[in-house]
Amino acid sequence: MSETEQKLRNEAMTLLEQGRADYIIGYEAGSLKFTTTPLITRDKDDIDRLVINPFILNNLSVFLGDISGKAGIVAKGCDSRSIVSLIQDQQLAREDIVIIGVPCSGVIDLNKVEKLTGKDRDELDDIAWAGDKAVVTIEGAKKEFPAKDVLMDDCLSCDMPAPQEYDILLDEVGPLVCDKELSRSQIKELEEMSPEQRWEFWKNEFSRCIRCYACRQVCPACFCKRCFVEETEPQWISPLPKWQDNLIFQMTRMIHVAGRCTDCGECQRSCPVNIPLRSLSKKMEEIADELFQYKAGTDKDAPPLMAAYESEEAEDFIR
Amino acid sequence: MKKVKKQDITRLLSQWQKEFTVFVPSRENGAAEMTVWDGQDVSFLDWYRNTVIPPKANFLLNMEIMFGFRKEDGSYNLELPAAATQKQLVFGIRPCDARATSIIDMVFKDAYEDKYYLNRRENTLLIGMGCLNPYDSCFCTSLGLGPAEATDVDLMLTDIGDDFLIEEVTDKGKELVARTEGVVEATRDDESRAGEVKDTAYKKVTRKIDTREIEKRLPASFDNEEFWEKVAAKCVSCGICTFLCPTCYCFDINDEMLKGDGARYRNWDSCSFPLYTKMPAENPREEKWRRVRQKVHHKYTFYPSLFDVIACTGCGRCIRLCPVNWDITQTLESVPAEAATGTEKK
Ligand code: SF4
Ligand code: SF4
Ligand code: SF4
Ligand code: SF4
Repeated sequence: MSETEQKLRNEAMTLLEQGRADYIIGYEAGSLKFTTTPLITRDKDDIDRLVINPFILNNLSVFLGDISGKAGIVAKGCDSRSIVSLIQDQQLAREDIVIIGVPCSGVIDLNKVEKLTGKDRDELDDIAWAGDKAVVTIEGAKKEFPAKDVLMDDCLSCDMPAPQEYDILLDEVGPLVCDKELSRSQIKELEEMSPEQRWEFWKNEFSRCIRCYACRQVCPACFCKRCFVEETEPQWISPLPKWQDNLIFQMTRMIHVAGRCTDCGECQRSCPVNIPLRSLSKKMEEIADELFQYKAGTDKDAPPLMAAYESEEAEDFIR
Repeated sequence: MKKVKKQDITRLLSQWQKEFTVFVPSRENGAAEMTVWDGQDVSFLDWYRNTVIPPKANFLLNMEIMFGFRKEDGSYNLELPAAATQKQLVFGIRPCDARATSIIDMVFKDAYEDKYYLNRRENTLLIGMGCLNPYDSCFCTSLGLGPAEATDVDLMLTDIGDDFLIEEVTDKGKELVARTEGVVEATRDDESRAGEVKDTAYKKVTRKIDTREIEKRLPASFDNEEFWEKVAAKCVSCGICTFLCPTCYCFDINDEMLKGDGARYRNWDSCSFPLYTKMPAENPREEKWRRVRQKVHHKYTFYPSLFDVIACTGCGRCIRLCPVNWDITQTLESVPAEAATGTEKK
């Protein structure tokens, strides 16, 4: 157990004991190699299962809406901004949440490790950080990879790995390897395509969407009690997984989360059929920044981007 | 028993392709699934462990037309889609998925006759291929299966080095082998080699559940709200574990119409969605824990009581693909031993 983990468990226990939180939302070891899984509990006996490691992928803020009472929640930089964004949208009250900020030096993208090693995750013995390298052990042999090759794309472009809003900060934030170009390499490829090529690309991608809605369900910005796709009067889109409707679903979702998405990467990671959703959400984030100098979840007192209008705002966004 | 040289697999498939639409595992479309063979590529022999999309999708399409309709003179003319007559051959199906198909048969063939499903099912040959390298999420051995055992297929292939041993499981399979070139008699050595391979594969499956204990405890857990609330807490209610489960078969029905011309479709549905049970007046499974409970009980209580078989084959997809690592084996193993104290009315 690391010092950070010990500190986390102590803090979480104190929160429960003092009644400052009714629930703790954190991570515990998962049942598969290199996974963690959300731990949502009010039971003090569970607290010593809390962990912090390079595989704490889930954006736990998605569970805050389920909790009745006060929650102590473990949050990385992007997660803390999702919480702020939910406060801006009046989905949460700041005083109901105790944010336990964790130092984040990025989380590891197992898909990238699989590509690099040609092995599936369960065939690897170990993945560990050694400075700015990831050391992967396969059948006893160690292989080193630069951090930028194994970090999630969203981590590679993260400006705020330190939680911006917190009640407890566990540690100093470690150095995070950034490579913004690399992080948006697929977006760049898409930008260089002609509209026809882009259309073909997305048509192809969305042809295999199975409409499992995992992308929506793991997204903290998709907090609607009833999503437009489930409306029947009028029925905005067909529930059939035709590529056209799949595409419309995702486009609409992207517009809805614009200015709320904090690039936590959860939608893309969760998609069982590997649709590169972040190429859409990250692009939305860039546009929000470019046109409105707006970064999601950085100011809990600011109005949400899509709910505010100022008369001097640029109108040339319709292009 | 027979055998075929690994290097002759292309030749084998090419012969079959003349007679069947041949499906093989492929990642070409971005997620591993059974797709129509291109006549060349057999690289799946190197990477294939199992598909993301289960082969049930070959029988129970994720979306299909039940009938077309056209409005004419105030009434509707219905038009049935042409019955699927093209013969399919699914090459490389894993024992868990082959068994799952038989499990779906119990509803779509025995309890009801679903023409759409049966048309495809009865026109399909299943060529199984044993797993040498099960995932850490696999637990088929706890459900009476072996990762390389011949179950619910027409032919079963076992990798014995330079060759595949071929077991002729059904008459259909036997007839197919008889008219296939490049297949030769296996030796006693080949057969005992295959036996070793199967044993090794069996031992590689380390995830275990105790189904006997589960069958004892689970039914009594139904009213234990506290238990289900706790295990359901981290589920985000997506469709992954049900859509991609090889035994889940629920579907929804939708009409689409444009200017009097339309079709009635059916498409996969999931009991993980609150909408699944939503009715005008109420929703009996509004809360997440009720939906999670339904999923587990359907597989491990209701199916056994109706068909005497657990509707789970331990393929592990729901564990591997779940975005929050919700693990059905952990839930099953943690069902409390004592009868429930809850008093919920059904
Ligand atoms: S896609 Fe839009 S309507 Fe649906 S949940 Fe997300 S924000 Fe709400
Ligand atoms: S997670 Fe992927 S497959 Fe599921 S609805 Fe979203 S885009 Fe489609
Ligand atoms: S158990 Fe996992 S895959 Fe299944 S609905 Fe819940 S979150 Fe989705
Ligand atoms: S319940 Fe899970 S392990 Fe069992 S058959 Fe379905 S997907 Fe596979």
